[in-house]
Amino acid sequence: MDPLVVGALVAISTVMVLFSGVSVGTGLLIVATGFLLVFDGARSLVALPELFYGELNSFALLSIPMFIIMGSAISSTRAGPDLYEALERWLTRVPGGLVVSNLGACALFAAMSGSSPATCAAIGKMGIPEMRKRGYPDEVAAGSIAAGGTLGILIPPSVTMIVYGIATETSIGRLFLAGVIPGLLLVSLFIAWAIFDTWRRGAAGVALSGVTYSWTQKFEILPRVLPFLAIIIGVLYALYGGIATPSETAAVGALLCIIVAMIIYRMYQPKALWAVLRDSTRESVMILFIIGAAGVFSFMLSSLFVTQSVAGWIAELDVNRWVLMGIINIFLLVAGFFLPPVAVILMSAPILLPIITSAGFDPIWFAVVLTINMEIGLITPPVGLNLYVINGIAPDISLKKILVGSLPFVGCMVLAIVILSVFPSLATWLPDYLMGPAL
Amino acid sequence: MDQSTYPPPLVVRLIGQISTVCGVIASFMILASVLITCQMIFIRAVLGKSTIWQTEAVIYLMIGATLLGLPYVQKLKGHVGVDLVPSLLGRNGRRILAILTLIATGCMIALMFYYAYDMWHFAWARGWKSETVWAVPLWIPYLSIPVGFGLFLLQLVADLWMVVISEDIAAPVAAEDRRH
Repeated sequence: MDPLVVGALVAISTVMVLFSGVSVGTGLLIVATGFLLVFDGARSLVALPELFYGELNSFALLSIPMFIIMGSAISSTRAGPDLYEALERWLTRVPGGLVVSNLGACALFAAMSGSSPATCAAIGKMGIPEMRKRGYPDEVAAGSIAAGGTLGILIPPSVTMIVYGIATETSIGRLFLAGVIPGLLLVSLFIAWAIFDTWRRGAAGVALSGVTYSWTQKFEILPRVLPFLAIIIGVLYALYGGIATPSETAAVGALLCIIVAMIIYRMYQPKALWAVLRDSTRESVMILFIIGAAGVFSFMLSSLFVTQSVAGWIAELDVNRWVLMGIINIFLLVAGFFLPPVAVILMSAPILLPIITSAGFDPIWFAVVLTINMEIGLITPPVGLNLYVINGIAPDISLKKILVGSLPFVGCMVLAIVILSVFPSLATWLPDYLMGPAL
Repeated sequence: MDQSTYPPPLVVRLIGQISTVCGVIASFMILASVLITCQMIFIRAVLGKSTIWQTEAVIYLMIGATLLGLPYVQKLKGHVGVDLVPSLLGRNGRRILAILTLIATGCMIALMFYYAYDMWHFAWARGWKSETVWAVPLWIPYLSIPVGFGLFLLQLVADLWMVVISEDIAAPVAAEDRRH
C-alpha cells in the first residue's frame, strides 16, 4: 500500500482512538501496534518493549522530572502570591501598575514553576480579586491571568521546550533562550491590550490609579521572593556557562528549591514534602509514558515509510512556504484545542520537522511558533485548562465571561506569531548571540 | 446507582494499595536520582574526580520510576486523554465507552507485559550486561518493564471491575491538578 495512504489511515485512526477517551500514551501504543501488526506482521511486536525502553534510555530526559520537582516545590509554597505582592508594591507608580504587576508576576512565576495552570492558580487567587476590587472589568481580570498563565510553557525553563528539544534533537539551551524575547513580546502585548480594554470599557479612571506603599512595605517582601528568582537565574547561568547539562542543572535547582521552600516557607512537615514529590511523580510519569509511547509511534511511522513519504509529498507540492506554515499553524492550533502540548509535540515533531527544515524554516524559530500555538490551546475550549482553573478560583465570574475576556489575548498570540514570522530573529537572535550561530 | 452503594471489594482495595506502594517507590526513585545527580556534580566539579556509575544509575532510576509509577498514576486517573466525547455522552454511553477503553488499554498493556517478560528473560538467561565501565547486568533495569506493565494491568482490571459494578467512571483529572 502507498505509504501516503498508510499515513492518512494512521492519522484517522489516531484521531479516532484518542477521541474515544483512552489515555494519550496508551492510544499511541494501540495505533502503533495495530499498524505494525497489519503491515509488518506479529514478529515486529517483539521489539515493542525495547523501543519503549530505548526511548526513555536518555540522560537528557532526566531534566523533565527535575524541572517538574523544581516547579512543584515552588508552586506548593506562597511564592506566587508573594511575587505578585512584591511586584504590585514596587510597580504601583507605573500607569496601570496592577495589570503590569499581575502579568509580570505571571511571567516570572511561569518561569519558576514551568506550569501554566499552576501559574494561573497561584497569581490569580490574589490577582483577580484585587483587580476587580480596584475597578478592572471582570473580563480583563480573568482574561489577563488566563493568558498570563500560558507563558509557563514559553518562558524558560520550560518542560514543553525540553520535550521539543528531545523529540527533534535540538539544543535545549538554544530553545530556552529562543523563548525569552517572544515571551517578553507576549507579556507586552498582553499588558497593552489589558490597559486598552480597561480604558475602552470606561474603567480607566479608577482602575489605573495606583495605591501608595511605604519603603518598609516594599523591602520587607523581597527576602521571600528573591531566593527562588536567584535559583532560576543560577540554573540558567550554569546551563549557559557550560558548567552543567540541562539535567544536571535541573537536579541542583530541584534540590535547592526544596531546601528554600523548607527554610523560607517552613515546609518541613513530611506531608507537605510528600505532596511535592507525589505531584511531581504523577506529572513526570504521565509525560514520560507519553514519550516512551511516542517513541514506538514514531518508529512505526518511519518503518512504514510514512514520515519520509509525507515529507517528500509536501516538498513535491511546491506550495509557497508561508502557505505551508499557515497550514501547519492551523493544524497545530486544532491539535492544541484537544491535546496537551507535550502530546502534540511528540506526535507531530517526527513528521513536521523534515517538512519545516526542507522549506527553509529554522527549527528553533519553529519551536517558539509551535509553543505559542500550544499556549492558545490552553485558553480555548474544549480543553482550555486555564479557563477552568480561573473558573475554579473565581467561581462568580462565568465561564462565558472568562472566555470572552481571554479571546482578545488569543488575538495577541496570533499577532505575536505574525510578528515572529516577519522578524524571525526575535526568536533566533538571543541564542545565536549568546551561544554562537547554530550549525 | 450511587457509588457508595458499592464499596470497593477487598481485592480492588488491595490492588489500589499495591499501586500506592509502587507510587511511593517511584517517588523515592526520582528523589534518589536528584540526589545522585547532585552528588555526581559535586564529585566532578568540586573534587575534580571522574564519575563511573552515576549517569547510568539515574537513567535506570528514571526508567524504573516511570514504569513503577504507571499503576499509581492510573489509580489517580492521572494519564491524560481527550475527554471530549465521553463528556458529551449520557451516563450509560459514558459507562459503555469507559468499559471499552479500559478493555482496549488492558489488552495493549497485556501485550507489552508479555513481550517485556520475554525481553527481561533473554537478558537474564544470557547474562547481558550494559556496555559501560560499570557493566550492570541488564536484567536489573529490564525487570522494571514487565513488573511496571504487569502492575499497571492489575490496576486496569481493578478499575474495570469498579466501572462494571459501581459505575465509577474514570473522571478526568481536575484542571487545577494538571500542570501541563
